[in-house]
Amino acid sequence: MKRYELIVIGAGPAGLSAAIEAAKVGMEVIVFDENARPGGQLFKQIHKFFGSKEHRAKVRGFKIGEDLLKEAEEAGVTVQLNATVVGLYPEKEVNVRIGDEIKHIKGDSVIIATGASEAVVNFPGWTLPGVIGAGAAQTMMNLHHIQPGKKVLMLGSGNVGLVVSYQLLQAGCEVAALVDAAPKIGGYGVHAAKVSRCGVPFYLSHTIKEVEGTDCVTGVTIAEVDSSFQFIPGTEKHFDVDTVCLAVGLNPMSQLAEMAQCQMEDNPKKAGFVPVADEYGRTSVDGIYVAGDVSGIEEASSAMIEGRIAGISVARDFEYVSEEEFKEKVEGFEAALGSLRQGMFAPENRGKNIEKTEEGIAVSKNLLKKGYLEEEVFTFPGVKKIKGLHPVIECTQNIPCNPCQDACPKGCIKIGEKITSLPDVDENSQCVGCGMCVASCSGQAIFLVNEDTGDGMGTVTLPYEFLPLPKVGDKGTALSRKGEKICEAEVVDIRTSPAYDHTSLLTMRVPSEFVMNARFYTG
Amino acid sequence: MRIEEHPILGKTEERKKVTFTYDGKEIEGYEGEPIAAALKAAGVMVHRHTRKGSPRGIFCAIGRCTDCVMVVDGKPNIRTCVTPLSEGMTVQTQHGCK
Repeated sequence: MKRYELIVIGAGPAGLSAAIEAAKVGMEVIVFDENARPGGQLFKQIHKFFGSKEHRAKVRGFKIGEDLLKEAEEAGVTVQLNATVVGLYPEKEVNVRIGDEIKHIKGDSVIIATGASEAVVNFPGWTLPGVIGAGAAQTMMNLHHIQPGKKVLMLGSGNVGLVVSYQLLQAGCEVAALVDAAPKIGGYGVHAAKVSRCGVPFYLSHTIKEVEGTDCVTGVTIAEVDSSFQFIPGTEKHFDVDTVCLAVGLNPMSQLAEMAQCQMEDNPKKAGFVPVADEYGRTSVDGIYVAGDVSGIEEASSAMIEGRIAGISVARDFEYVSEEEFKEKVEGFEAALGSLRQGMFAPENRGKNIEKTEEGIAVSKNLLKKGYLEEEVFTFPGVKKIKGLHPVIECTQNIPCNPCQDACPKGCIKIGEKITSLPDVDENSQCVGCGMCVASCSGQAIFLVNEDTGDGMGTVTLPYEFLPLPKVGDKGTALSRKGEKICEAEVVDIRTSPAYDHTSLLTMRVPSEFVMNARFYTG
Repeated sequence: MRIEEHPILGKTEERKKVTFTYDGKEIEGYEGEPIAAALKAAGVMVHRHTRKGSPRGIFCAIGRCTDCVMVVDGKPNIRTCVTPLSEGMTVQTQHGCK
């Protein structure tokens, strides 16, 4: 029987990171992955990630994936693709199916990094072709360059539902509505706001009643639900769509841990049935570790750090690194992970109703219920009326993210030591209009505004990630945060730069009275 | 339905065109892309019918749910979302379990 020092199951962000750390200190590592390509779901993530520099914030997911693969190669990690682990036993014996064969191998240690699978909900018509998972939509458009549909209804307002809705718009699809049975939006407000301003309506406290069609989806009916999630008669709304996309959560794919007799728990804070593990990823079975979504649903940035912690922990347990080296490394990783787990959306806050920001400002209920900010936008420290050109930062929830602070060469933007603090715009600093803050904001929540250019007009510079790119001189319409047409707008500048990483900066001229409401442009 | 140019991903790389048959009809797709992607681009939604005759198509697109299985080169239960397309493949709608 072939024997390895470390077998990693899953070549996603957690598994690859774990393998890299263990291989770097000399362990013999093999990674098995059932897919034809490594990277897990990272290569479908075309948005800029949140966090700080150490988390590779403002870098797009697929680029992080490319770098991770390169690092794995340099560390000498072997990744066996098209290899499905179908059995795992407490003695660290592994059954892996490669082609039509099942191989039986043994590890001194095993790291389970199998990730998560998408949850589904049932409703009449849910099996019809055209009802797809949000992950399927991402796979089709971002990997295979195929539109998942012409007109799509999204169910689920968590970050997956919000991000995928935006990506559908980027792929040229129409998003008819974003629907969630919950009374408030589950994901980041900034993700909701960028979908809203494109004109996508949100229906909270609504869910799907029925999907229509004989051979495939031809329409969908949603209806409002009461506080016990029962349909309220007479609230039905119909949409002619060809695709219904489900983004109703993720479940840890923990079957292998259970099979290996790891102690399991149903933990709502970890979003499902997960193996019990300590801070280093060690399960109750000696030599079996877990990392990433399989041990509790979070996101790719924390999965990568968890992977590195599990990898270095295995190396420590097998005496490849000294206790001192281990401590030094793991402390750095834990600090990075700790900062990602702060703020309103921290795992410990799951299910909690947060009324105020860390600064004591009332959380915008409009943002949570409708997907966009209204007048309350002026209560946040990033939104100020200042003479001349200045950034307006519509970042109103405490999320772990701070690239805007480093982006400004003039020091106009302050977040401070605490990564979750709301960005504050300094009224006295001189904005030179470089636009680096606009392009660096992963939430696309920063605009450069000049409220009065002297002639009753003003300018708004906004992040623009769509095709075709408007041209200078184009005349179109400015849209509000809600996505409603509010006034005529002329494109006066379009800037693209490698430093902006595929985010173009569109500057439009609008009457002064609309400057603080105009947040998107349509031709 | 194919995305020729994407604001973030740029222009879709040129790939080798191949011809395959879907229920006897000749269709073009790109070599190496999943069979399901080529069918989707051609507007095919139904991949199989269950024993009771209910239609199924792409659902997860990552080889997990098995909704998209078809008969490929005479072999049933092939997950078309993770099986690469090649020249001359015979792809057929699957009826019931095989």
